[in-house]
Amino acid sequence: MAYFSGLSDVLRITFVQIMILSTIAIVIFLYGMMINFQKWGAGVTGYGLEPQEGTKGSAIRFLKTWWKQVTEESHHGHGKPILEVLILDIMFQRRILKRSPLRWFMHFTIFAGWMTLFALSGMMFAVEMTEKIGIELPFTPAEFRDILSIPNYIFGYVLLIGVIIAIVRRLFVSEVREASIMYDWTLIGVVFLVTISGFVADGIRTGIIWNFGLDPASAPPAALFHSVISLLFCIAYIPYSKYIHIIATPLAILANKGGE
Amino acid sequence: MAKRTPSIDTKNLTAVQLMELDSCTRCGECVKWCPTYAASGQKPGLAPRDKILRWKQYMNKSYGIKAKLFGPEEIPQSELEEFKDDVHGCTTCGICGTVCESGINTVELWEAMRANLVKKGIGPYGKQSMFPKLIGQYHNPYMKDQKDRLAWVPKDVKIENKADIVYFTGCTAGYNQLSLAFATSRVLNKLGIPFAMLGEEEWCCGSALIRTGQAHINDLPREIAKHNVEAIQKKGAKKVVFACAGCFRAAKVDWPRLLGKELPFEVIHITEFLAGLIKQDKIKWVKPINKTITYHDPCHLGRHVGVYDAPRYVLSHIPGVKFVEMDRVKEFQRCCGAGGGVKAGIPDLALGVAESRVKDALATDSDILSSACPFCKRNLSDGRDSLKVDLVVEDVIELVAEALGLSTEVPKAA
Ligand code: HEM
Ligand code: SF4
Ligand code: SF4
Ligand code: SF4
Repeated sequence: MAYFSGLSDVLRITFVQIMILSTIAIVIFLYGMMINFQKWGAGVTGYGLEPQEGTKGSAIRFLKTWWKQVTEESHHGHGKPILEVLILDIMFQRRILKRSPLRWFMHFTIFAGWMTLFALSGMMFAVEMTEKIGIELPFTPAEFRDILSIPNYIFGYVLLIGVIIAIVRRLFVSEVREASIMYDWTLIGVVFLVTISGFVADGIRTGIIWNFGLDPASAPPAALFHSVISLLFCIAYIPYSKYIHIIATPLAILANKGGE
Repeated sequence: MAKRTPSIDTKNLTAVQLMELDSCTRCGECVKWCPTYAASGQKPGLAPRDKILRWKQYMNKSYGIKAKLFGPEEIPQSELEEFKDDVHGCTTCGICGTVCESGINTVELWEAMRANLVKKGIGPYGKQSMFPKLIGQYHNPYMKDQKDRLAWVPKDVKIENKADIVYFTGCTAGYNQLSLAFATSRVLNKLGIPFAMLGEEEWCCGSALIRTGQAHINDLPREIAKHNVEAIQKKGAKKVVFACAGCFRAAKVDWPRLLGKELPFEVIHITEFLAGLIKQDKIKWVKPINKTITYHDPCHLGRHVGVYDAPRYVLSHIPGVKFVEMDRVKEFQRCCGAGGGVKAGIPDLALGVAESRVKDALATDSDILSSACPFCKRNLSDGRDSLKVDLVVEDVIELVAEALGLSTEVPKAA
């Protein structure tokens, strides 16, 4: 998948637009996270307590309470060491694997594909910025993009496999379909949209598989579209949707020391 | 339009618990395993996932972004009342937490929601609201005279005034399930283990109050914990033996938390105690029990505090016993339906769950369905009776007594 890059002079304006958009996306994200932290921080700091009269939710209170729970010994004696939890329960998502290998495969491909592409895009961005400020690199951004294209393809398809399994499951397994609400659909729908738009943008540019017969001239707008929805949905939208689980679920697993 | 103050507050809900509402990924595992949801004919409101969703929505309406910008949205009282009914339709069995893909500590969440609502004057459920009054006044939930705590003790049983070991009977065994108390005391005597009892000074463990969200009322559980700990210390005990899963859980988890410090003695379940003695070869069995026996893990002994092996170890060492496992055991055990105040609050639901569990046992062709808690015994027996099937429901300690040649029969007069 192509990270949108403002390589040519024609696209200078787009580059500025992307920078502005990124900033907006990050601001929306941060604002939403602050609201969430305050919402969570409206809770009490320990068992059986009550919030103090007149106090408002505070992000600091949330973080302190979370940290206290992470570091204290658990009453139930089920707790696992933090490193084990980080690796097995969070990175490897053992709790999903224990319940359903298929769903684990589905999620792990989404997770691994997503995180890797996110990291690769970040690297691409870093290379471009380095060049922009005039530091010499052993390769040009265009060359770097070619280097990244192989892992980009691989992880793009890894992600796509997971997304397709998830959608098929939601559409065709009646038990899952009936229990699905808008909250579920938006997450998987948005991930699907971002994934497909990435493939199409890249396909139009390179003319391989995903171009749908579109004119290579439409590559820049397609890439721009992909960048815009990625930024809006994958960053800005996190605090306002089921995307929040990317943050809240690992934090809950850590707080409960891997869970029972 | 929007009201100025939010319809719900955050009393008893910790910041981490509020975050947990947002970490639910709606995977649906908890719904698959929840025993009360199944036994209710899949009443949608009882599904753990649904309870989390609803409280999350309450939070967003009260403290979310829209509430921040335009003021909180009102939640109708009737909706909260309905939620209360649903959150009490839960035995606090904990399987939803065990299978939760997001690692949410669900039981603590349900108990916090219950307490939060009770503080608002919503709930608890039905007869559960009698607990604080009864336990406060009588120090047991059965309105019995505290003077009769030891009324059951048969002449042959020898109780020390002071000893290293205290046997904490619990209200259910001490007043209603006497054969368990007979069994425990006679077994300890037979094994030559001197023990003391608290008698009048034994107050209900407080479990019923804590599980139903009523811990704050007059701060009773804390008072109870303090009283019991002091009474136990006066007996000079180093170890307290419990034969009731509910009391054991309360003493092991709730008492230290209420008192804010470790207990000055060890608490141990009778099956762990016996398993220890068997390992030291200190038990000489007298009589084989030539029966097929299966074992039901009490939630409050198994999932809540992690005792799975000791009762199985004891059972499989009784001569003659053919031990078989049924479906859904250990951490995946199906609850008997009695806990969390459901037996008192919603007896029909408790019975429905018990029937499911008795069916699990019947599928193994066992002669005896055993457990290690008087509460489970009571409810499983009720389930068996309502199914009208031929199955003996007996506690592990009763079986041990039998294999040691002791009687657990309760004399008619008692
Ligand atoms: C360490 C972090 C994460 C944890 C612990 C986690 C956990 C989970 C869990 C437990 C589920 C429910 C799976 C099921 O239905 O069985 C889920 C669903 C999902 N997760 Fe994650 N997740 C994490 C990060 C991510 C990331 C980075 C993405 C990237 C977009 C992601 C995307 C999804 C999607 C799309 C679903 C919904 C699947 C469906 O609709 O069926 N997750 N997550
Ligand atoms: S604790 Fe048990 S009864 Fe209660 S919601 Fe969870 S699974 Fe259901
Ligand atoms: S098991 Fe946990 S994550 Fe899954 S639906 Fe239930 S509460 Fe949510
Ligand atoms: S668990 Fe039940 S029977 Fe045992 S002491 Fe507590 S309230 Fe009484």
